Amino acid sequence: MIIEQLPIINLLLFLFMALIIPLLKRKPFKITLILGFIVLILVFISSGYLLWYVNNVEIISYTFGGHETRFGIEFLVNPFSALFTTVISGLALIIYVYSSGDKTEGIEKKEFGRYYVLLFILLLSMFGILYTNDLFNTYVFIEILSITTCAIISIKKKKDTYTSAFRYVMMNEIGSLSYLFGVALIYMATGFTNITLVSESIQTAFSAYPFNIIIALGFMIIGLGIKAAIFPFHIWLPDAHSSAPSTSSAILSAIVIKVYLLVMVKVLYSVFGLDILVEMNIPIILLILSATAMILGSVFAIAQKDVKRMLGYSSVAQVGYILLGISLLSLAGLEAAFFHIISHGLMKTALFLSVGEIIFYKKTRKVNDFDGMGFIMPVAMGVFSIAALGMIGLPLTSGFISKLNLGIAVLENNYVIFLVVLILSSLLNVIYYLPIIILAFLRNEKYHYRMTTIEHTPKTMITPLIFLAILIVALGLFPNVIMPVIESAAKTLIP
Amino acid sequence: MNDIIIKNITRIVIPFAQAYGIFIILNGHISPGGGFAGGAIIGTSLILYTLVFGREKGKKKFSHKMSEIAESGGIMIFVLIGVIGIIMAGSFLANQSAGFPQGELGNILSGGFIPILMIAIGIKVASTMISLFNILIDEEKV
Repeated sequence: MIIEQLPIINLLLFLFMALIIPLLKRKPFKITLILGFIVLILVFISSGYLLWYVNNVEIISYTFGGHETRFGIEFLVNPFSALFTTVISGLALIIYVYSSGDKTEGIEKKEFGRYYVLLFILLLSMFGILYTNDLFNTYVFIEILSITTCAIISIKKKKDTYTSAFRYVMMNEIGSLSYLFGVALIYMATGFTNITLVSESIQTAFSAYPFNIIIALGFMIIGLGIKAAIFPFHIWLPDAHSSAPSTSSAILSAIVIKVYLLVMVKVLYSVFGLDILVEMNIPIILLILSATAMILGSVFAIAQKDVKRMLGYSSVAQVGYILLGISLLSLAGLEAAFFHIISHGLMKTALFLSVGEIIFYKKTRKVNDFDGMGFIMPVAMGVFSIAALGMIGLPLTSGFISKLNLGIAVLENNYVIFLVVLILSSLLNVIYYLPIIILAFLRNEKYHYRMTTIEHTPKTMITPLIFLAILIVALGLFPNVIMPVIESAAKTLIP
Repeated sequence: MNDIIIKNITRIVIPFAQAYGIFIILNGHISPGGGFAGGAIIGTSLILYTLVFGREKGKKKFSHKMSEIAESGGIMIFVLIGVIGIIMAGSFLANQSAGFPQGELGNILSGGFIPILMIAIGIKVASTMISLFNILIDEEKV
């Protein structure tokens, strides 16, 4: 009985936390931090338990107010949504611990509370997007997500953050409305917004109103493409991600854009179904978009002087990898995409957090200033190197496994050209990540004397970084630990 | 603003505006309107008061702390009613099956918990309107 309530209890815990923070404003801030930590731990445990439950016992379908699914809103906890809510809450927990140590760089002291309110509402909306089985309800949660994201980007109260937040709002509002228009057209043709019911009747609707369905598909792909920063629509991402505080860049880059990609997976696989997609040649279009993203994202990243902008463009390229896996429309491709979502989440979090630590202490974000940084901040730079090597795709890291899986999936479909693109993009990654590592550890021997003056960073910042590095290596050595869960998640979408 | 005509007319108008807002909130479940529309009307009347009598007097009527409590409290009521549904009927926001009295169709006291939800939304929207306005007034230049 209580298990069925767990998804809504997760959402309510986040909402409760977001509401209680303004009321605790006059108490010491430590109480808020500890309470938030307890909430995140509880949510992580409950979503982990749900993951075990849906994989071993049964799928949970939950309707609000006891209405029928035709009228009410349905939450569907299947291996897919349970896996990614667990991943999100785990990553959020790591980032939260780090953010409590770094005094959330660049934010005024009285804004701390507001930052955490936004963080918890952000998590609430992402959980909602994954759990819900209703297209319109997804739109509502997407809207909450974009508004809170915009507030998190602009929280530093500087001119450039306002510019990038404004650009983000403009682009994302177009995306939201495109998605809504697609939902409206589907509702017009099928009469439902519930995903299960829509997918049952979309085939007949497609033969009766083909134009509605084609236009709906186009609008939804473009709307979600803008939000997930798929290549031609990526222009908001580097500014937004580089001007936000480091912890929120980590959240935005590692979690938020992945959630939009997961909505896209849901829309493509569960709503429209493979037959309609193949008939309309959607896979080819998405494959070409992903290939351009993989190449051009990396090319733009090479040109950047600011390390956070570079990481932002690198995210554009990585979204291309995930899209490549999604658009293969095969089980192996989807598994590879899911694995890469998890491994990229870990690696990008590690990169942004370690860079955040360097920015916090050295007040520099220029790539050239990283000379000899490895001798001054060995832990941060070490974690950065491990994550960067993972991005390049060297063995022993999780990045290697995800690129291997992607390559195998591409070869299964006989798209040799995309394997070439994949390898080319990895080589481009080498061009912009490796010089930083070399500069930091091998050049400028005059810095050696600083070995004695290693920076003392708080334990709350160091521990999450080391933990992330261990996870990246562990996932590279033993990918089979999480493979069964990913496989069952992919199987819920491809029957 | 120091105009006696505006001040006196505002004094007359505000009670009517607020009564109208409360009417729309309370009739939300049986007629067009509801918590959001009624809350917006009440919020507008508070904004009118601040515009005419100045920020200082407006602060005395509806302080920042009070609006914070009202904002969080509005959602808290909503969530609490939802949780009652979980406890009584095993489903969030369960209405009839959780034992809320249904009343007679068309009466103010009908529809189970929906009037309470409307009041909660009304409180939340009214306080959000006034605090957004106050934030815009108080904001210093960046």
